[in-house]
Amino acid sequence: MRVDVRALGACNRLAERGAERAANALGELTGSDLAVEVTGASVATGEDLAEAFSGRESIGVRVGLDGGLEGSAVLAFDADQVDGLLSVLPGGASMGRSAVTEVGNIALGGFLDGWANYLGRAIDMTPPRYFEADGAAVLPDGALAGDGVFLFESRLDATATDLDFSIYMLPDSGPFRDLVVGKTATAATAGAEGAGGSAAGATTAVPYESLSTFASLAKRGSANAADNVGMMTGLETTVDVSRLRFVPLADVPSEVGTEPHAGTVFELQGQPSGYLAILFSEESAAAVAEAMLPTEPDEPLGGTAENALRELGNVMTSGFIDGWANVLGTSISHSPPEFVHDIGSATVSPLVASLSRRQDYGFVIDAAIRMEGEQARCDVYALPDERELAAALERLAET
Amino acid sequence: MSHLTPSGDRPASGWTDPDRSDPARNDAPRRVKVGVGDLAVVSDGATLTTSGLGSCVAVALVDPETGIRGLLHAMLPSADGSVSRSPRPAKYVDSGLETLVDELASAGASPRRLEARLVGGAEMLDLTAAVGPRNVERARERLEVAGIPVVASEVGDAVGRTVRFLPGGDLAVRAADGFERTL
Repeated sequence: MRVDVRALGACNRLAERGAERAANALGELTGSDLAVEVTGASVATGEDLAEAFSGRESIGVRVGLDGGLEGSAVLAFDADQVDGLLSVLPGGASMGRSAVTEVGNIALGGFLDGWANYLGRAIDMTPPRYFEADGAAVLPDGALAGDGVFLFESRLDATATDLDFSIYMLPDSGPFRDLVVGKTATAATAGAEGAGGSAAGATTAVPYESLSTFASLAKRGSANAADNVGMMTGLETTVDVSRLRFVPLADVPSEVGTEPHAGTVFELQGQPSGYLAILFSEESAAAVAEAMLPTEPDEPLGGTAENALRELGNVMTSGFIDGWANVLGTSISHSPPEFVHDIGSATVSPLVASLSRRQDYGFVIDAAIRMEGEQARCDVYALPDERELAAALERLAET
Repeated sequence: MSHLTPSGDRPASGWTDPDRSDPARNDAPRRVKVGVGDLAVVSDGATLTTSGLGSCVAVALVDPETGIRGLLHAMLPSADGSVSRSPRPAKYVDSGLETLVDELASAGASPRRLEARLVGGAEMLDLTAAVGPRNVERARERLEVAGIPVVASEVGDAVGRTVRFLPGGDLAVRAADGFERTL
């Protein structure tokens, strides 16, 4: 199966617009403004998803899909937000489960409406089913069985209150497969619809198996980077999450968030080129720098700490991309580290802007590395050039 | 089983969701978030916000007579020469400004009365230093061509910023270093 990157962009744009409709529907129902923060399609195995969701408790609603799109869709939120949610719903706590079911029905209806329009075919939705789930059981049926599935995920945040929702959709093969491989006529002309993802006229097709191989490679890279942090700091490290996702690049800054961050950024040179950012919260950055230095620095994030974080970034980046060149059969190097200390989203925005000259969507690898329990944590974002990555994956499939 | 049928209402080809710009649908005061490569127009007492402005530039336009306001958060200077077929005019300063002015006019603002405030365009990274200043330069050029005066700005340097565009037209800017001012 070859995934047409442009068609995948079109699908992602649909998921994004669907999430906007769901946000509007929920906003009207709850009386609070909701904004779609991130929409993406992750390429993940069942095992990866189980790891990523472990420890989470969710409640929500799921529906089955038939017709223009087959599979299932889920609206979920964290179990600890249930009181907050019920307090803003009509009928509120007295309605409980049925209020949540109604929310799910409205939001998922809004989400799927756009897909039906786009496909020019009706989508049948089974009656919503309420659930309470541990870990990855929240995901649509079948997500954990696959050795590589496309899972669409949108996160919706209430701007005024502390409420956030996720919408997950796992399309079955069949009609969806025809969409992502670019067979469906509407998807093939997606540029006209406003969902183009790559160069005008060029079709970028990526062998799905190579994408899956690259996801595993990225995961190994995250583990190498974490090991290197362990060696440099003496702290025990764990990779919490490592995902390969296809996202609108413009969503990346809001995903990084508006909290102050410190860390390093790198330019990747070779095939693929791109950028890599290693970002810590200020407290984590200070804690890690201190663990690397023989004596406590005068300032938590002063010059000495900066140098320590640069050195750490160098070693992490080498670990992260080590193996890419071998597997992809290319040569990849990185620039010297540039220290950054600012609002997280402001730091990554120039990287995103730079890549956006050539692409609207991109494959993003993000990994969260945790040190000694909760003592420190960092996020690694790798943003490869889409077409160079596709070319490398193409070569990978040929070998 | 509910049945979602395709309607004649195709997904909107524009970028701003009209629902978000329609004051009748929500009670004021409210907060409208403008994402990266996004724009929004309001004609009620809502506060328009955008955060994490690094090299991107925010252009805030207000018609002081009607109070109709719009905010653009653009990433790159110009759609010209771009190989990406972007569905998002707001990604670029030039196409974003054009769309913003059109949407303001549709909402009832007079393009002749508009005044602009500019924020952002920082040189965040040595790796990508040129992006921010080019965004600001392009915004000034396009505003001049459109005959829209820039009444205040807070641009350049190497600092991230967050803005709130308040009813009445004031623009509150907070920098990552904690410095705050109102334009």
